[in-house]
Amino acid sequence: MSDIWIIAENTLWARTLAAAAAALGKGGKITAFVHGDEAAAKDAIAHGASEAFYLPLPADAPWEAYTPALVDKAKAEKPALILLSTSRRCRDVAARMAALLDAPCFSDGKNIALADGGVTANTLLYGGLAVKTSVAKGATVLVTIGAKDFDHGAPDASRSGKIDTLPLSAAGVSVTGRKPREAQSVDLGAAAKVVSVGRGVSKESDLDTVRALAKSMGAEVACSRPIAEFFKWMPEECYIGISGQQIKPQLYLAIGISGQAQHYFGIRDSKTIVSINKDKECLMNQQADYYIPADWEETVAELAKAIHK
Amino acid sequence: MKKIAVCYKWVLNDGDIRVNDKTRDLDFEKSKPQINEYDRNGLAVGVQLKEASGAELIGITCGVDTEPSAKDALSRGPDMVYYLNDPALAQADSAASSKVLAGMVRSLGDVDVVLCSECSSDDFAQQVGPRLGALLGYPVISYVSAVKLEGDALVMDRKLEEGTESVKVKAPVVVVVSPDVCEAPIPSVKQILGAKKKPANAMDLAGAGLGPDAVKPMVTVQSVKAPLTSRKAVNLLGDGESVADAVAKLVKQLSTDGLL
Repeated sequence: MSDIWIIAENTLWARTLAAAAAALGKGGKITAFVHGDEAAAKDAIAHGASEAFYLPLPADAPWEAYTPALVDKAKAEKPALILLSTSRRCRDVAARMAALLDAPCFSDGKNIALADGGVTANTLLYGGLAVKTSVAKGATVLVTIGAKDFDHGAPDASRSGKIDTLPLSAAGVSVTGRKPREAQSVDLGAAAKVVSVGRGVSKESDLDTVRALAKSMGAEVACSRPIAEFFKWMPEECYIGISGQQIKPQLYLAIGISGQAQHYFGIRDSKTIVSINKDKECLMNQQADYYIPADWEETVAELAKAIHK
Repeated sequence: MKKIAVCYKWVLNDGDIRVNDKTRDLDFEKSKPQINEYDRNGLAVGVQLKEASGAELIGITCGVDTEPSAKDALSRGPDMVYYLNDPALAQADSAASSKVLAGMVRSLGDVDVVLCSECSSDDFAQQVGPRLGALLGYPVISYVSAVKLEGDALVMDRKLEEGTESVKVKAPVVVVVSPDVCEAPIPSVKQILGAKKKPANAMDLAGAGLGPDAVKPMVTVQSVKAPLTSRKAVNLLGDGESVADAVAKLVKQLSTDGLL
């Protein structure tokens, strides 16, 4: 039985992490720290937390300004494990807490096991090319885990527990403005099929060919990082990778993508990956289920013809 | 603003790493070290801040054999590079790397801005920048997509899941940049030649004010294996076959799998 903390940036993450904590803690106390208001704390308790602290977003400081208060509390209570969501603010909080607690931290941990000998977890190396299995020992070990890694159960409204909040420390950082993300035109995360373009496609007008193919397949169109960030041929929300979208469609068709680790990270859970890239040895081909090492224009033209039939 | 330190990691080019089909081990034979691609954006931001402030720009790195990185780093704009090699850093985790970098920054003295990038192309742990800030006691601004100098303060945009957060912070500060913060230009021939004239200084643990404990990892690696569920990588274009043949095979396969 181990006491476990969960730190989450929203209610859904908190539910996921509470389910993970229940599975790993085997009846130990679960303390939740959730971004939001009292309702968010109540929701965490209904989903398995023993007690919950709500941490509202400060108007003039980043949410990460709760880090010192979390560290002080962790030093006093020494939870065996702290699970955090893989959202950006929580990644930041996880790393800072780990440094201040002089504790080990796994990023994007999977297959987490808690035993007397320490915490074992798998992490990805080179964007998923290999899996690293490691063990960490320490009074407290931190792990960030993905939202889809644990299914949460139904809420139990009859559960009760202490609800409180934490003090904010001076962050030395002033927030001067916040702008919500613009509504996304496509939901790549929900798409069953995704056709994606990379630098192998040489000009912006080539995207029309790719879009036409995607349309005939009932697929959404995505791209690699350079297409969105450097060439700006597609909106940033369309690029796949560690700092972009992470998706798991039934079919991912990569056209002219070299398959760098940072890109592969975003598609590693796809069911079927097909690559069209004339460089036979490129990582995208080597990490695909099927690949065609040929000129993309000729291949896409043939593919469009075949689908049309 | 007098001194800016920019951290970079000397990593293997992941594009040339292969998997041994039988043992599932990684084969690094063809892979050469390079400056972590993400850190090239950090270096580029360092150059922009140096130009805006007149500050000295210092590249810092640590690892096992990082001396050859200095010339490449210097061609990207820093005035000098400090590198710290220690055999124990072969097993370095984010904790060890950040402790060593923190020691190096402290020993440089009065560093106003420490630049890091959001991750490295090997572990993608996204920990070193925030850890470094916490160890130094500096504010940390992570996931930065825009930076501007305004008097003695930095004005930045952070790109988060819910949107953009604009912040203002006075030095000293650790700034962790995202790849879209700016382009990382390829060094010109002049810059490459000029790099040879700039100083590359070795530093050791003692010089960084650290003992041997700093390089001890807190996470012990038990195994590194390419997953068995790794994809089949079936080449559909057989010898002497046309692209149309390959496409026919693909369409048949995808139709069978219910994907078309």
